[in-house]
Amino acid sequence: MTVILDNISKSFGQVRVLHNLSLEVEDGEFLVLLGASGSGKSTALRMIAGLEAVSEGRIEISGRDVTEDLPKNRDVAMVFQSYALYPHKTVAENIGYPLKIRRISRAERDTQVRDVASQVQIDGLLERYPRELSGGQRQRVALARAMVRRPAVFLMDEPLSNLDAKLRGHMRAELKHMQHELGITTIYVTHDQVEAMTLAHRVALLEGGKLQQLAEPKTIYENPESLFVAQFIGSPPMNVAHGRLENGTFIIGNDRIETGGNATVSNAVIGLRAEDCRVVGSGEGQIQASLFANELIGDHTLVTARVGADSLAIKAPKDFDGGYDSDIGIDFDREKLYLFDNDTGERIRRH
Amino acid sequence: MTNNMKTRPGHSRAAHSRGFVEWLDRNSRHIFLWPAVIMILIFSIFPLIASAIMALSRIRFRGGGYNVRFVWFQNFEKQLFGSEQFHFLGTFAGMSILGWLVAALTTVGIAVWIVSYIRSSFTVIGFVGRLITWGFTLGVGWMLAATLFSGHPFGTLGTTLFYVIVGCGIQFIIGLSLAFLCSLPIRGRGFFRVVFFVPLMITPIGVGYAFRMMADTTKGPFSPVWQWAGLKDFAWAADPWAARFFIMIGDSWQWIPFIFVVMLAALESVPRDYVEAAQVDGATGWEIFRDITWPQVVPVAATVLLIRVIEGFKIVDLPNIMTAGGPGIATESMTLHALFAWRSLDLGQSSAVAYLLLFVTVVTCVSFFNLVVLRRVRA
Amino acid sequence: MSRTLMQRLFEPRSIHEIAPGTGVIVYSALFLWTAFVLFPIYWVFITSFKTPVDVNSGPVYLPFIDFWPSLHAWQDLFVFDYKDTLRAYMNSLIIALFSTAGSVLIGSMAAYALARFEYRPKFGVIVMFILVMGVAFYTVGSFGVDWRLASASGIAVFVFLVMSLSRHFKLQLSNGDILFWVISQRILAPIVVVVPIYLMFQQVNLLDTHIAIILTYTVINLPIVVWLMYDFFRSIPFDLEESAQLDGASRLWIFWDIVLPLSRSGLAATTLLVMILAWNEYLLALFLSTSQAQTMPILVAAMNAGERGILWWTMSAVIIVMIIPVIVLAVVLQRFIAKGLLLGAVKG
Repeated sequence: MTVILDNISKSFGQVRVLHNLSLEVEDGEFLVLLGASGSGKSTALRMIAGLEAVSEGRIEISGRDVTEDLPKNRDVAMVFQSYALYPHKTVAENIGYPLKIRRISRAERDTQVRDVASQVQIDGLLERYPRELSGGQRQRVALARAMVRRPAVFLMDEPLSNLDAKLRGHMRAELKHMQHELGITTIYVTHDQVEAMTLAHRVALLEGGKLQQLAEPKTIYENPESLFVAQFIGSPPMNVAHGRLENGTFIIGNDRIETGGNATVSNAVIGLRAEDCRVVGSGEGQIQASLFANELIGDHTLVTARVGADSLAIKAPKDFDGGYDSDIGIDFDREKLYLFDNDTGERIRRH
Repeated sequence: MTNNMKTRPGHSRAAHSRGFVEWLDRNSRHIFLWPAVIMILIFSIFPLIASAIMALSRIRFRGGGYNVRFVWFQNFEKQLFGSEQFHFLGTFAGMSILGWLVAALTTVGIAVWIVSYIRSSFTVIGFVGRLITWGFTLGVGWMLAATLFSGHPFGTLGTTLFYVIVGCGIQFIIGLSLAFLCSLPIRGRGFFRVVFFVPLMITPIGVGYAFRMMADTTKGPFSPVWQWAGLKDFAWAADPWAARFFIMIGDSWQWIPFIFVVMLAALESVPRDYVEAAQVDGATGWEIFRDITWPQVVPVAATVLLIRVIEGFKIVDLPNIMTAGGPGIATESMTLHALFAWRSLDLGQSSAVAYLLLFVTVVTCVSFFNLVVLRRVRA
Repeated sequence: MSRTLMQRLFEPRSIHEIAPGTGVIVYSALFLWTAFVLFPIYWVFITSFKTPVDVNSGPVYLPFIDFWPSLHAWQDLFVFDYKDTLRAYMNSLIIALFSTAGSVLIGSMAAYALARFEYRPKFGVIVMFILVMGVAFYTVGSFGVDWRLASASGIAVFVFLVMSLSRHFKLQLSNGDILFWVISQRILAPIVVVVPIYLMFQQVNLLDTHIAIILTYTVINLPIVVWLMYDFFRSIPFDLEESAQLDGASRLWIFWDIVLPLSRSGLAATTLLVMILAWNEYLLALFLSTSQAQTMPILVAAMNAGERGILWWTMSAVIIVMIIPVIVLAVVLQRFIAKGLLLGAVKG
C-alpha cells in the first residue's frame, strides 16, 4: 500500500516544526525517516498516524485521502518507543486488543493472536503481564500487536532505542527479515543512522523540519547532496577540513589539492570518508597533518589527525603505530573527495 | 492478502453507524468536560447569583406565595450597622483603655505594613489586593478592640474567626507534632497512624453528641473530676468561653487527623539522602527537622492549612448540635447565623449573612494564599 | 568512653532508633493522644449498651463490672422505631452510593478532559451563557413561566447569540483557568447557595426526594474529584492512549478500558473520600429533606428535639450504626486516602 505525503506542514502556534514535506512511499517499501531530535521526523510520523492534525497539505494512504480521518480509520498500526503495552492486560489481551475493538469473534481472535505470537516467537508468554517481560520480549509483543491487524502501513517510532546495544542489533535483523516476509509498507523513525542504513530501502533525512535528501542508503552514503547529509551519515561521520577553493584548487594551510574542476569558493570544505584515507610519511600524500591519537578498534586502528583546527579520522591497518604529535601525511584518491560550499552547505560538483 | 480483508476496519461496519460513532469520537472533548461544567454552573453559579439578588431584597412570604422587593444594601446595613449589628459584629458600648490600645496597635501595625510594602515593591494589582486585606484586617482588629478587649460580647463573625484562626492554628500545631512523632523510627507506627486517622471519618453530628456527653458535668465520664474540682454545678454550656472551647475541642478532635495524615505522608516523602547527609554531618533530630525536613514540607504545610481554613469557615454541625449556638449567640458560627435567619423565613438576611461569610472566606483565603503559600513556595 | 546519664538517655546509639529517654516522651505523647482519640468512641460504644438508669445515675465505665450491658437502646432503635431508622439508613445509603458514583464519573471525566485536551473557551461566551440563563431563571421565579420552557428558550437564545457574536470576543481562558475555577468551588460555603437550590427544587417539585439530594451532593463533591484525579490522569503516559486510538478504540472506550483501570488506586481513594463526605453531610440535607428523604445525620440531629430530653443511649446506638461502616472502610483504606490527599495537596 502506498503512502503519499503531499506538501505537509505542521505548526505549533508560531513554531513551524515541519516545512512542506513531500514523500511517496511505495507498496512494500521500508522507508526510514532519519533525523536528530527536533528535526520533525516524529511529528511527521504522528501526522501520518493521525495523532497530530495536519496544518497544511494532504496525506494519502492506499490511494485514499486520509488527511482528516481519525487514526482508527487510517488502517495503520504503530509501534511506540515505549511500546505502550497496556499494563493491566495480559500479552494475549494486548495483542488481541485491536481485534477485540473490531468485534472479531473470540475464537478467531485466539487463532490470530497465536499465529502472530509464534511469528515473533513469544508463544510461551501469552498469559503473562507486560511487567513480567524483558525489554526484548516487550518489543516483540508490541510488534505482534501491530502485525495482528495486517494494516496497510506499519509506523514505527524509534522502536529499538529502549533496548541495549546487543539486543538492538539482533532485533534489527529480525525486523528487517519480518518486513521482507510480510511485505507491508513500513515507515520507521530513528535518530540512529546505522539503523537507517541497515534497515531502509530508502532513507529520508530530515533537519529543522525540512527534507535534506531522500535516497537509497548506498546513494545517500556515497553521494550526499549537502554537507549536513555527509556529516550525518557514516560511522565515523565524514571528515571535513576548511579552506578555500581557487580555480579548482583547494588550499588548506600550505597544501594545495587539485580537485579537477574550476570553481572558486572562498569558504569551502573538503569531505573525506575515513576509509578512503591513508596515512603516509611526512611530506608525502596530499595533506600534511599531525597525529593526535590512535585508537585500536579491532579490525582496524582509528587515527585522529589534526589539520589546522580540523580533526580527520582515518582508518589505518590494525598494526599501525605512530608517535603522538608526530608529523604525518594523508593520501587519498581524488575521486573520493567531496567538495562543499561551507556557507550554503551545498555540494560543489566537479563534472 | 484477500483473506485478510474481513479484518480490515471500515469494511466490516455499515457506513451510517460509523458516522455517529465517529461524530461522538470527534466531539469527545466536549462530552467529557461539559457535564461537570454545566452541573457546577447550575448548582453553584446560578444559585450564587440568585443568592446575591436575594441578599439585596426583602422577601416576604404571604399566603402560599412570596413577594420580593429590591432594597439594595439594606440587609447588609442591618447586619453591619443596624439592629442586627450585635448579632453579626458584636455589642459596641464604649471602648475600654485596653480596647483603645488594641485598636491603636492594629492601626499602627497596618500602617507600618502599608509603608513597608510601598517601599519594597509596588504593582497596581498587588496594591489593590492588599488594600482589601488591610481594610479587612483593620475592620476585624477594631471590631475585636471594641468588643473582646472592651469587655463586650462579639458576634458571629468573631466566633467564626475564633473557630478558624485559633482552632486551625491549634489543629495544625498538634497535627504536625503528631506527624513528626510518627515519622520517627519507633515501633507501632502503623497502629498509631490508623488510630489517629479514624476521627476524620466520623460524622460531625456524632462528634457533636459524643463531646456533649463527654462534657456533661453530671452524667459524663469526667463528672467525678468536675465534682472533685468543685465544679459540679458549673454549666459549661452557659459560659460563652467554655462553650466555645468545647466546640473547638470537638472540631479539633475531628480535624487534627486531616493535618496529621497529609503531613505524615509529606514528612515521609522527604528524600532520605538529605536526612542521612545531615546525620553524617552530626545534626541532632531537632536540627534535622528545622533545617532539612521542614523546608521540604513547607509547601504542603501551607496548602494543607489553606484547605483546612477553607473547610473551617463552613463550621455548622458542631455548634448546632452541641449548643445550638448558645449561650445566647456565643457559639453561633456565621453559617448557623444564616441558617437561623432562614428558619425565621428572613431570606434576605440569611443570604446577606451567607454573602458576608463568602466575603470573609475569600478575603482570608486569598490573602493567605498570596501572602503565605505563594511566597513560601517561591522562596 | 563513658557516657553521662543525660547522654545515655537522650542520644540514640544508632540513627535507626531513638534514645530511651526520648522514647519515653514520644510514646507517652502518642499514647496520650491515642486515649484522647479512642475514649469518645469507646464512651459512645458503651453508652449504647446502657439502660437509662445506668446513664442517669452518674457515669459508669466498664461493662460487666460497673454495669451490665443491655440491648435496651438497640431495641428502641431496631424494634420500636425501626421504620424511621431503616428508612434513614436506606436513604443515606442510596444517596451516598449514587451521588458518589455520579461525582466520581462526571468528575473524573472532567479531570481527564482537562489533563488531555486543550480548551480555549472564550470568556465572553461564558458570561453570555450565565446572563441568558440567569434571565431565564428569573422569569421562572418572578413570572411563573414553566421552567422547561424557560430553559429551552434560554438555550436557544444562547446558541443564537454565540453563532452571531462569538467571534467578537477576544479574551480566552485556558485549561488551568477551568481547573482553578472548578477547584475553587470548594471555597463556596454551602450556606451561600443552599437557599436558591432549595427554591430551584421547589420549582420542579423535587424537594424531599432522593434525586434532589443526590444531584446536589454530586455537584458539591465534584471539585474534590477533579482535584484529586487530575494528577492521577496526568501521570498516565500518553502513548498508551495513542496506541489504543490507533488500535481503533474510541475516546470514551479508551477512558473506560485503559485510563480508569490504570488509575485504580487514586479512584479508590477518591471514591471512598467522596462517599464518606456524602454519608456525613448535614447542612444541605437539612434543607432539602423533610421526611421521606431524611438521611442519617438528620435523623440523629432530630433525636435531639424529643420531649424527654436527649436519649443518650439510643443516640449512641444510632451513632454507632452510622460510624461503624465508615471506620471499617477508613482503617482498611487509610493508606490510599493519605496518598490521595497528599498528591492533591502537593500539586494543588
